[in-house]
Amino acid sequence: MTRVLVVDDAATVRLYHTSLLQEAGFEVAEAANGLEAVEAAMTTPFDLFVVDVNMPKMNGYACVETLRSETVGTAAPVLMISTEDRPGDADRAYQAGANLYLVKPVAAERLVRVATMLTAGKDPEA
Amino acid sequence: MNPLLAQFLAEANDLLASVDDGLLQLERNPGDPELVNEVFRAAHTFKGSSGLFDFPELTRLTHAAEDLLDAVRGGRLALDSGMTDDLLAAFDLIRGWLAHVTAHERLPATAGQDAAGLITKLRAPLGGGEAAAADQETPLSVRPIDPPPQWLAHLGTEWLIDTATWLGTTSSTLRFVRYLPDQDCFFRAEDPLHLVRQVPGLDRLAVIPPESWPAAEEYDEYACLLSFVVATRAAVGELDYLFRYVPDQVTVVELDAAAIHRHLEGEDEAEFAVPAPPPRPDALHVDPELAADARAVLTAAHRTLAVGEPAGTQLAALSASVTAAAHALGVPLDLTGADQEAVNAAIEGLLGRAPVEPAAEPPAVDHPVIPALVAPPAPVPAEPTGRADDPGGQVGTRVLKVDQEKVDRLMELVGELNVAKNGLTFLAAAAEEEFGSRALSRRIKDQYAGLHRIAEELQAAVMDVRMLPLSVAFGRFPRLVRDLSRRLGKTIELVTEGEDTMADKDVIEALGDPLVHLVRNSLDHGIETSDERVAAGKAPAARLTLAAVADGDAVLVEVSDDGRGVDPVRVKRKAYEKGLITEEELESLSDSEAVDLVFRPGFSTADQISDLSGRGVGMDAVRASVEKLGGSVTMRSEWGSGTTTRLRLPLSMAVTQVMVVSVAGQRFGVPVDLVVETVRVPAAEMGRVLHQDVVVMRGEVVPVIDLARALEMPWEPDSARDLAVLVVSVNGQRIGLLVEQFHREVDVILKPMEGLLAYAAEFSGTALLGDGLVLLVLNLKEVLGLAARVA
Repeated sequence: MTRVLVVDDAATVRLYHTSLLQEAGFEVAEAANGLEAVEAAMTTPFDLFVVDVNMPKMNGYACVETLRSETVGTAAPVLMISTEDRPGDADRAYQAGANLYLVKPVAAERLVRVATMLTAGKDPEA
Repeated sequence: MNPLLAQFLAEANDLLASVDDGLLQLERNPGDPELVNEVFRAAHTFKGSSGLFDFPELTRLTHAAEDLLDAVRGGRLALDSGMTDDLLAAFDLIRGWLAHVTAHERLPATAGQDAAGLITKLRAPLGGGEAAAADQETPLSVRPIDPPPQWLAHLGTEWLIDTATWLGTTSSTLRFVRYLPDQDCFFRAEDPLHLVRQVPGLDRLAVIPPESWPAAEEYDEYACLLSFVVATRAAVGELDYLFRYVPDQVTVVELDAAAIHRHLEGEDEAEFAVPAPPPRPDALHVDPELAADARAVLTAAHRTLAVGEPAGTQLAALSASVTAAAHALGVPLDLTGADQEAVNAAIEGLLGRAPVEPAAEPPAVDHPVIPALVAPPAPVPAEPTGRADDPGGQVGTRVLKVDQEKVDRLMELVGELNVAKNGLTFLAAAAEEEFGSRALSRRIKDQYAGLHRIAEELQAAVMDVRMLPLSVAFGRFPRLVRDLSRRLGKTIELVTEGEDTMADKDVIEALGDPLVHLVRNSLDHGIETSDERVAAGKAPAARLTLAAVADGDAVLVEVSDDGRGVDPVRVKRKAYEKGLITEEELESLSDSEAVDLVFRPGFSTADQISDLSGRGVGMDAVRASVEKLGGSVTMRSEWGSGTTTRLRLPLSMAVTQVMVVSVAGQRFGVPVDLVVETVRVPAAEMGRVLHQDVVVMRGEVVPVIDLARALEMPWEPDSARDLAVLVVSVNGQRIGLLVEQFHREVDVILKPMEGLLAYAAEFSGTALLGDGLVLLVLNLKEVLGLAARVA
């Protein structure tokens, strides 16, 4: 089972991403902000993170930085999905440690395609 | 309705509430960065979620509001009340739309028109949109001048001549971009128009329609058929960066005056197509869309290496994503332990090899709606993992949003369970009386006791679910007070206290109208203008307080102001003029009794009826509606320093305890709250004072009303037996009700009288008893009134 953590403060968007990924056969957990995501990642290994940028308590950039820091230390791919589409937004995501930055709303098949591609090489034993 | 939309609507309510709330607080504390952030975040989240649905007007309007808030957040704008008005209006409109969406799953047809004016207003403070980035004096790049392409013609000959002249005099150059968006860019979440609008230093834009539009029946509104030609002062680097995700759809040329002149003279270069990388012998055969995504990942990784110095985990993750993308492109790659440079080289190699997307046929989709909207996802059965350290499911969600109807249904079932449970007591009685089995009767009673306890707890649990904080009822007031105070030209500070106090949702909902009325009254009659207040030696800003506090099984809600209060003399005079009180009462009524006169039907002290509270609805209506809830209203006022109205309401209206009595062989219910005691009085002790039966109890004379006579039922008490008198307390007064027989107390679900019976004011409702009898529950106030009329 490939485990994905969907991190977004908007319940509707979470439901959208979660149901798409579940249909595609992923095992999905949810977090409503960066802090919850970090907590979840510290207790459970995930194979992919789908992270929103604008969130209360801890925004997506800080969340990804923490995931990549020694605190969590996960090298699992991070897909950032945000409504922000200003020059520099994507770069901030990449500097934080994201592997792909997409602008909301992401088409259903694209989300599944990218998630599948990024997790294709994961070690089944992980 | 599909679950995603339902979820969105539920979430939208919360978000809109916090936007409203935040905006009103912001008006009081302008520039509070926390608040601005909160409002912006709510608006932003809302916009993000709305983008999942095909509600373009909704997204556009929210976007305009969000941009304005963003400017405030960034300190580029100060929020004034005009802007707040516009923002509130925008979110009001959205709220109306959502109601329409709830009913019809689409926006009203007029949404576009309704929103247009507001969008303009919201964008006005921003200078009608983000001003184009100031011309940066970019050092002239030593870029060769490109041959002029044919598509320059789209910019218009006249403009080209002017521009060429200007370029000639300044010996400068200009960049020209042609952007041919992919037909199915919509499905890749690209927004060509948005992209073009972001071009910095935009000098001219031409939007080019296709050479021929498809026939109407074949027209696919989700296929992008437009292309763009742009003239810009932005540097080539900026343009490359802006179009970094669609480099294959963009052509950029740099031209000077001479090149434009060459174009005008018809010396165009042969029209060249989109610059595709030369077809490579080893171009891979991969699903074009997957290839595009893989390329996006590689481009992202390339960009990451350009803007930062990833190391450690970051670099490991980056290498992994590059490997995954390579794998998707069918290229085996091992980057274990590779350093930045090695990874970079691998990426560049791969990007050269990734196949170019052919212009794909637009997918045969006739809706923009995502599959999730068409077919609700089947629930995925959770796999039992059996591992303790694997929470698997939801992380951190402990709150369920439950449809109100489901809770109401539960409540109904609890009521039915109670009724069915009560049936056991009748069965126990029957077992003994009809079947002569006392043992069985006792066992049934034991069983009943157990069932009763569980039913009680179940009821308490469901009631608990139905409890809402008073903040729900108070929520609308900041807005109301703000709007009204501005209209009346009064300065008012609204204070709410105890909004966490909980009460049943029916009570909270029913409380809304009386509260609005009281607040309006306060604003209209109670609170003075600032000048008046200053003249009276008060602070210019009046204070209106909404306070709630729990009190046993009741909740107290107070509306108080520090306004001018109620003038008892004036009230008495008014009441006398209107014939509500006699001349003696005019003399004898105390000040506090005088204040109570405002609750009399037909009383209104406003000298001129304003459009706020002069709607023919007075305090009498407030009192009536609160009493209908089983509550009471009292008012205290001090002339000159303010008024406090106190509402006392039961925590819940769902279950009522009633005492069952019978008269003339028919059973009636009396709310237990009102019952003081039950007594048996020997007929000889019944006295008469002024044609009124009385009984002396513990030195107090209590009038006794014959319930049968009040209800006009044929029944005469048997003078040989003691009389059954139910002593009740109504409006603080003790009154005895003469009845035929006392029965037990029961818990019932009180259903209000409906239809024609709603006019039978002497009954507050009906309840179904365990033996199937429909019990009429008395409204004692009305019954006593009837008794007075009958007497």
